[in-house]
Amino acid sequence: MAEVAERPYPPGDYPVVVVGSGPGGLQLVYRLSRLGVPHAAISADPAPGGMFRRFPFFQRLLSWTKPYAPAERGSRAYHWYDWNSLLAEEPEHRSLMPTLMDGTSSFPSRPEMEQNLALFAERTGIVVRYDCRWESTRREADRFVLVTSDGEYRCQVLVLAVGVAEPYKPPTPGFEEVPHYAETRNAESYAGKRLFLVGKENSSFELATGLLPWARQIVLASPRPAQLSVNTNSLVGVRARYVQPWEDSVLGGGVFMMNASIERIVRHGQGYRVHTRRSEGGAALMVDVDEVIAATGWTCPLRDLPSLGVATVGRSQLPAQTAYWESASLPGVYFAGTITQGSGGLKKYGIPSNSGAVQGYRYNSWVLGGHIAEKHFGIERPRPAIAPADLVPFLLDEVTTAPELWNQRAYLARVVSVDPEQGVRDEGIEPLAHFVDAPGGDAIAVAVESNDQAVIRPAIYVRRAGRVDEVLMEPDPLNDFRTPAHRKQLEGLLAGLGLR
Amino acid sequence: MPMTDEQKVALLRGVELLAGVSEHSMAAIAQRTGELTFAPGQRIVSQGQLGNGLYLIASGAARVQRGDEVLARLGPGEVFGELAVIDQMPRSASVVAEEPTTCLALASWDFLELVESDPKLALGVLRVLASRLRAAGERHHH
Amino acid sequence: MATAEEIVDALAGLALFADLGRPELESVAHTFEEAWFPEGQRILRQGFSGTGFYVILEGEVAVKVDGEDRAHLGRGDFFGEASILLGEAPLADIVALRPLRCLHLAGPALQGFLVAHPRVMYRMLVDQTRRLRNANLWRR
Repeated sequence: MAEVAERPYPPGDYPVVVVGSGPGGLQLVYRLSRLGVPHAAISADPAPGGMFRRFPFFQRLLSWTKPYAPAERGSRAYHWYDWNSLLAEEPEHRSLMPTLMDGTSSFPSRPEMEQNLALFAERTGIVVRYDCRWESTRREADRFVLVTSDGEYRCQVLVLAVGVAEPYKPPTPGFEEVPHYAETRNAESYAGKRLFLVGKENSSFELATGLLPWARQIVLASPRPAQLSVNTNSLVGVRARYVQPWEDSVLGGGVFMMNASIERIVRHGQGYRVHTRRSEGGAALMVDVDEVIAATGWTCPLRDLPSLGVATVGRSQLPAQTAYWESASLPGVYFAGTITQGSGGLKKYGIPSNSGAVQGYRYNSWVLGGHIAEKHFGIERPRPAIAPADLVPFLLDEVTTAPELWNQRAYLARVVSVDPEQGVRDEGIEPLAHFVDAPGGDAIAVAVESNDQAVIRPAIYVRRAGRVDEVLMEPDPLNDFRTPAHRKQLEGLLAGLGLR
Repeated sequence: MPMTDEQKVALLRGVELLAGVSEHSMAAIAQRTGELTFAPGQRIVSQGQLGNGLYLIASGAARVQRGDEVLARLGPGEVFGELAVIDQMPRSASVVAEEPTTCLALASWDFLELVESDPKLALGVLRVLASRLRAAGERHHH
Repeated sequence: MATAEEIVDALAGLALFADLGRPELESVAHTFEEAWFPEGQRILRQGFSGTGFYVILEGEVAVKVDGEDRAHLGRGDFFGEASILLGEAPLADIVALRPLRCLHLAGPALQGFLVAHPRVMYRMLVDQTRRLRNANLWRR
């Protein structure tokens, strides 16, 4: 009983309630704690880690941590080479991930990642009420009321970091008969089986890669042709780690990739018959297999929030969000973690932000914490003055090394305001979409951007008299933008602002 | 004497709508064009009639008229029905030969077939239309 | 939120995709991504690089040049293709006049998509031709 009594954050009224204890939730709770924003944090899980307590299925991540990198471990710049550590103000709590890796890969294993997150929570003293399940929600005056397995929580600001974690299967007949990716069994149990994987994205290629030594035959099918990240010049498409089944299919080695829609799946003997229709030409094709796995994605477990007015988008039912990750249709409800991919940003050349992955959303959490503190609690961000002579070197240094800008390209920006009385002030990191679309005084935002040809370059956004203009700078072969040519171009740009 | 494909291609090169079309695709278009001759006074197209293609004057002269009003005179290398080849809208004016006149004609159904068999050709046309639309927007603006 | 099935149904009702059969429509539904924007949201930004292609499923947008309303677009209309095809930044903002549900295709994917679906390209050609006629630019 004593143990129960010691559980933190009992049901009650809190200014902010954060739901979820994956990396996004942990990062936000850390930030709110350091900013002194009063809050409660609850999680249905028994321990920190979120999805990394179970997935990826084959137990190795897709996000790199390079123990040896051009930047020193623990430095701000190192975070570009370490996509898995959470962010901390205290130097001793930074870059935990590389200290836990065994050197077999630059991609941490799932248990290493889980350990990394638990260690961060422990060392930074993050407090979460675990084993507390959010069940339903209602509105009472200016409060959101969360009904949980432990009782009712009331709050003015609700932050959901519950992942995109609910297995999704399309309503096509027969899918109810077959397992989802989340229900994949041990690899050995597929020995000698003919396998049909629905989906041609990373999750189905991950399964195909892991089952190559076991399955007799693997078919991967979905209507849309598969893409490769090295062809899209971005993280869109099948990642290099999972290309082996693709090569096997090209060589005719028992792996087949089909562009076809699945019309129905029926039981057939000991296995299944999958009725497909080719996307090109529309010819019908039946495939007889022993096993089917639906790698058809996940949805966002928002429970009853849509009925309260949270608009959702697409197959994943991601909530539509503002640039600051607030529900676009229900103010006061914010999102953290992988759900923040629903705040698309500028999506230049169709390249999404990294908000779906730890290396991106840890910064979203950081910025969101500051935004909530400022907007709802009057805790203003520091706005240090920048001497005019330091401005150009400062901005070029940011676009060369700032991990926020490198991990969240064309999505997060460094902002400096320019005011005749206040002078030049560092406004910190802001969502780029907010900077370019929201009204504001004269200011400059710098971001790192890449295009579909993998050209990486700084982008400068100048807001003058309410209008924002985009200026793309030249790329650099070594991605170092602190060159005399870049300095000259930026100085020219800023001259127009009356700074020089 | 009928025109060679090379002569046709040379003429088609002057059609602004086809400015973005590759050498290879242009040869395919040339093969689809018909050569039509008209006597002085003969109508090449009639106002109100469904547009069924593009005409390019190879030799001779013609006048564009709406009712009795003469809107323009056309000579060798000039084109009409450029948009009708795509959207088959009824002709807004008649075109009447003023001299013995030879036209290259590209029918809209042939154009559709070309688009289907050679989609890159259509991309070039799409680009020309897009830039014309932009110019039109800008003109409207000033 | 819409399932792929619902998107296929919505696509089938739009002129741009009217010539496509069911399997091709499904492929399109999986190629495009659904997007939703609240009222007042800018979707294309005048003078910005790297724009995408959008087809409106529900709602209405304003075409604004230097903040001035030029035209409105609604269900079945599309935008962004000119900037992508010409490799130039948009000359106008596109702003949602009310909540907007649309389909989005990454700019670099547009040409490949049109080449793979010439019937869609033909519909786009016809649409642009009509717009050009409406712009009253045509000489004859």
